[in-house]
Amino acid sequence: MTSFLLRRLGLTVVLLFIISIISFFIVTLTPGSPYPWGELNPKISAEVKANFRKKFHLDRPLPEQYAFIMRDLFTGDLRSIKDDRPVMTRIMERLPATLALNLAAILISLSFGTLLGVYAARNAGRWQDMAGSFVAFLFIALPSFWISYLLAIVLVKGFHVPILGTHSYGIEFPNVFAAGLDTLWHLLLPATVLAIGGIAAQSRYLRATMIGTLREDYIRTARSKGLAEETVLYKHALRNSIRPLVTGIGMLLPALISGAVIVENIFAYPGMGRLGYEAVLERDYPTLVALNFVVAALVLLGNLLSDLLYAAVDPRVRLE
Amino acid sequence: MISSASITPETPTGRILRRFRADPMARIAVLVIILFALLAGGTALLSSMGVNWPYNPNLTSLEQKLLPPSPSHWLGTDNLGRDVLSRMLHGASISLTVGLIAVAVSLGIGVVVGAIAGYFGGKIDQILMRSVDALLCFPTFFLILTAVALLGPSLINIVIVIGLVSWTGTARLVRGEFLTLRETEYVKSARVLGQRAWTIITRHILPNAAAPILVTAVLGIPDAILSEAGLSFLGFGVQPPQATWGNIIADGKTYLLDAWWLILFPGLAILIASLSFYLAGDALREAAESRN
Amino acid sequence: MRTLRLFLYGIPAALLVLLVAAFLNASILSVSKKNEMSIGTLGEPSTLNPIQQADSASSQVGGLIFNGLIKYNQNLEIVGDLATKWELSQETTFQFATEEGAKSADTALDDVCWYVPLKRTLSGRALTIRFDQPGLKSSEDLNKLFLEKGFHPLPFPTLETGGKERPFKAEPIIRFTLRDGVRWHDGAPFTSTDVAFTYRAIMNEKVASPRRSDFDLVDSVETPDSLTVIVRYKKPFSPALLSWMTAILPEHLLGKLDPAKWPEVYNRAPVGTGPFKFGEWKTNEFIRLKKNPDYFLGSPWLDSVVFRVLPDPLTLQLAFQTRQVDFWNVDPWAVKGLQGDHRFDLFSAPGNAYNYIGWNLRRPMFQDLKVRQALAQAVNVPQMIKYILYGHGVRSTGIFTPQMWFFDPSVKPIHYDPEAAKKLLDEAGWKPGPDGIRLKDGKRFSFTLLANNGNEVRRDIATLVQDDLKQVGIEVKVEIYEWAVLLKRFVNKGEFDAIVLGWGLGYDFDQYSIWHSSQTHPEELNFVGFSDPKVDHLLTDLRQEYTRPEIIRFAGKLQQTIYGQQPYLFLFVPEGTEVMWKGAYRLRHPGPEGTWIDEPVHMTKAGWSYDMEWFYRPEYPPKEQRQKAK
Repeated sequence: MTSFLLRRLGLTVVLLFIISIISFFIVTLTPGSPYPWGELNPKISAEVKANFRKKFHLDRPLPEQYAFIMRDLFTGDLRSIKDDRPVMTRIMERLPATLALNLAAILISLSFGTLLGVYAARNAGRWQDMAGSFVAFLFIALPSFWISYLLAIVLVKGFHVPILGTHSYGIEFPNVFAAGLDTLWHLLLPATVLAIGGIAAQSRYLRATMIGTLREDYIRTARSKGLAEETVLYKHALRNSIRPLVTGIGMLLPALISGAVIVENIFAYPGMGRLGYEAVLERDYPTLVALNFVVAALVLLGNLLSDLLYAAVDPRVRLE
Repeated sequence: MISSASITPETPTGRILRRFRADPMARIAVLVIILFALLAGGTALLSSMGVNWPYNPNLTSLEQKLLPPSPSHWLGTDNLGRDVLSRMLHGASISLTVGLIAVAVSLGIGVVVGAIAGYFGGKIDQILMRSVDALLCFPTFFLILTAVALLGPSLINIVIVIGLVSWTGTARLVRGEFLTLRETEYVKSARVLGQRAWTIITRHILPNAAAPILVTAVLGIPDAILSEAGLSFLGFGVQPPQATWGNIIADGKTYLLDAWWLILFPGLAILIASLSFYLAGDALREAAESRN
Repeated sequence: MRTLRLFLYGIPAALLVLLVAAFLNASILSVSKKNEMSIGTLGEPSTLNPIQQADSASSQVGGLIFNGLIKYNQNLEIVGDLATKWELSQETTFQFATEEGAKSADTALDDVCWYVPLKRTLSGRALTIRFDQPGLKSSEDLNKLFLEKGFHPLPFPTLETGGKERPFKAEPIIRFTLRDGVRWHDGAPFTSTDVAFTYRAIMNEKVASPRRSDFDLVDSVETPDSLTVIVRYKKPFSPALLSWMTAILPEHLLGKLDPAKWPEVYNRAPVGTGPFKFGEWKTNEFIRLKKNPDYFLGSPWLDSVVFRVLPDPLTLQLAFQTRQVDFWNVDPWAVKGLQGDHRFDLFSAPGNAYNYIGWNLRRPMFQDLKVRQALAQAVNVPQMIKYILYGHGVRSTGIFTPQMWFFDPSVKPIHYDPEAAKKLLDEAGWKPGPDGIRLKDGKRFSFTLLANNGNEVRRDIATLVQDDLKQVGIEVKVEIYEWAVLLKRFVNKGEFDAIVLGWGLGYDFDQYSIWHSSQTHPEELNFVGFSDPKVDHLLTDLRQEYTRPEIIRFAGKLQQTIYGQQPYLFLFVPEGTEVMWKGAYRLRHPGPEGTWIDEPVHMTKAGWSYDMEWFYRPEYPPKEQRQKAK
């Protein structure tokens, strides 16, 4: 167990290293540079220019710049070119909102995806299965911005319900409960939109493994022993198909954060997706490098966690 | 039918055909795809001959702005009085082209990387697969956004970028196939006979891995279509006045509460097109898997 | 098995229940409102430091936190803010060949009585005359008087008179008397030191203030006592008074702090003197201000004001429709639908801003005046007004709008005439090429037109211009970028071909910073790179005139000259409309002689939102009767 953890952590560090190099070079090998005054005009004093370039180490060769960015990243001195604030502060102030949104989305996709997957697998080959597949593919094919807008039309025009941000503004909440529900509403709405693709992926994955499991000998044996179909299904089949439910979590995260770019913009939600989107627009290189790094670290951590969880739910797996 | 199928080994094409015959949903999906392709191709062909049907997609006609669907404009007009149906028809060819070329790019890279990793194994495999893992950790959309920001928003760049970031799945799949096929008797014997790696890969392994590769290709098309729509929507897509399904919605979103037709129809087009590709791709996949 | 089933059905069911409950909760919530005003801003303010900001989002927030020395009242007359009194005067110094000459010139003035008061100081060969009418003209009148009487003042070196050689040196002076007892939000007293510091900060290169050009002509800022500020100018500079509307910064907090540290320490948590204190800033969410109960005019009625940062106009509209923001600056296309709606109060006013296309005059293709005229003829502006603005606007005829008192109505707009445009382009050497696009010296007439993402009017302008110019054989590529990017990457750098933008400049006749040839550096406002000696002179002269007829004369000439040069394609002046939920606010503001005036929110010359700090919600009526407002 310990050796497994050590090995995985070692691998994670190597991966993070590769990732940081890739993201640094993607970000810096741009035509033009993050230069707030422009380069055409000779009148801006050379001193100011030099100071700026020096401050962000832009006067150094790329490998050195990379070293500086990594050093600053770890010492917490990496500053955003946009507002000169520490990059980690900018990312960390978004982290709670992002985590809340993504965890909610994961919860929704896993729970509803599992339900749909089990339903389809139970009825494999019948029309319910076809309908299930259709719904799953429909969900994958739904452009998130489109469904968000349709929702906005219905909710705002039809019900005058606030949908933007993390909570309602200008309202005197009668009690904590109402305030909590209000925050929950502002979280669940974008999370649901974000989860639509995840529901579909999860249901397809679960259906496939579960059909596979149902063909296994021990299930046939269980059935032939006259066990109730329900028992067979839940006790044996589902438990053994639980793997996708767990491993899914790690792999869902990057996709979710990608999807969040659009959803966060539409719902004016202050998460990392919007930060990344704005950093791209601003060409805020330090923020982008740091953001990619943090997301990658989160994903790897998620993977590790899901492997550990997997070992916990499936006694056959031993971590070595 | 059934007995004949079980007696003579079925060709892949036959298997696919049988599958599609048995699956009405897949049949409809294929028909829809053909319909979209015909409409897009027909519109492109007509406009290259100087005929614009029903209207010129970029012709602004301010007297007719924001008209709801009517007999003269079936899907209404946008804020500059351009015919939404015409813009969508032209957008169709863009969306489909984006889908096809992006998939070609991603397939090219994915197959090469996967083949090399799977065939040679060892260190090469390790390095390539760790890089794939690293890429998978990035939120794809950031990669696309960054890359498009770097290269500038043009149709070609967008297609290339979408292709460039979506090859990892194919690479993994191809590697897996190669790992299995490498151990088969005929590959082993080919190697014993001293055939070169290139010949073995192209003659013996690739044809046998064709089916799953085809499946990923078909399933990759709607992914690319959706990515393009998302990019256009965020303003990183194809620049105006060129119409795509994504930027009709993006341009129309200001009028969201008043001109629903600017949102509803292009979105439906994206939905139906991608859904059809997914359904057809899934049927293909089942046909391909049923050989085992 | 039980647990598995519980999870399988329980979690989705629980989520559904929560979602429904949250939805029901959200749909009944809007009944009880906090005593808080909610304003939507498009885009994140860059900084809340008023002398470092140039974007409207920042200044909107800053307007409630800070005060200037003076301000406009609702009739656009200048009134005191942090200053209670200001006196303008001017010292004119003449030099004579001999001391006797100076003395006799001095005595000669004894029987002149049309400048009262007239203080004269004689020192050696120099005679300094002080009077309360600043401006170049009054000094010139004095000079004429001397000439008539046979005195011949010696010319001053050009360096001291600022450009032109003149026989006198004119130095306007403003003397401000500050309001007593004003305190900063942290309790420290506000004094003349703060004013002097603000001036120094603006001039400090490290601060990189965009307001610097307003204060370039200041000779000195003196503070004889804690409530008096004397500003002396190097030469007549009529916009000088208006420049003191600039917010004043606290010396006690920033004086000893290196400006490099400001972004962290001050710019995101400013301390001012205004009706509202800084409360909280959550990036990309909101900035909340709390009322300042110790405000020198009295505590505002609202508990707080929140500025919501929204990414685009659509979210602003959605927020308004659900009463999440209280005001909505609606696009022209939506006005018609709202006008008949009894749920809303609409405030419409002729605009003070104009839209234009700026040609980057650094690009060779735009350097030819004929080309720029042709471009102006080729674009169908009346059609834009009719269909983009739904008729809510008029054509722009240059740098001033019809609302301004110095606007010159004699300037006539260039007519839409694509045939004439083609002819002009032919004359300029741009001949149609094989693909229909014009060529000159082998180069195609093709350029990129920029506009900002999220501004529908500008995007539509770009598309229509693209269409119109195609008709005359010019290829336009439209590229749309987010506002901050557009500013940062293109406008500030001066790296673009052409750009769709707008100016909303208030009632300031001084447009030196936009049109003078010295203002073409990065981050400066003459980003099109316009340079014309005649305009440079007019701009300099205009800012030395203090009297109404002279200002009108020079402003008119300026408007004519620039319109003739067509550095911009001047498009239109849209009407602005703001929507408020009916009766959401009322206004109770200090009136004359310490009274309080209670009235509905209404349109004033200075706009509907004038006195916004005195808005109150009818459900939270002002309780206490205010004694007296100084």
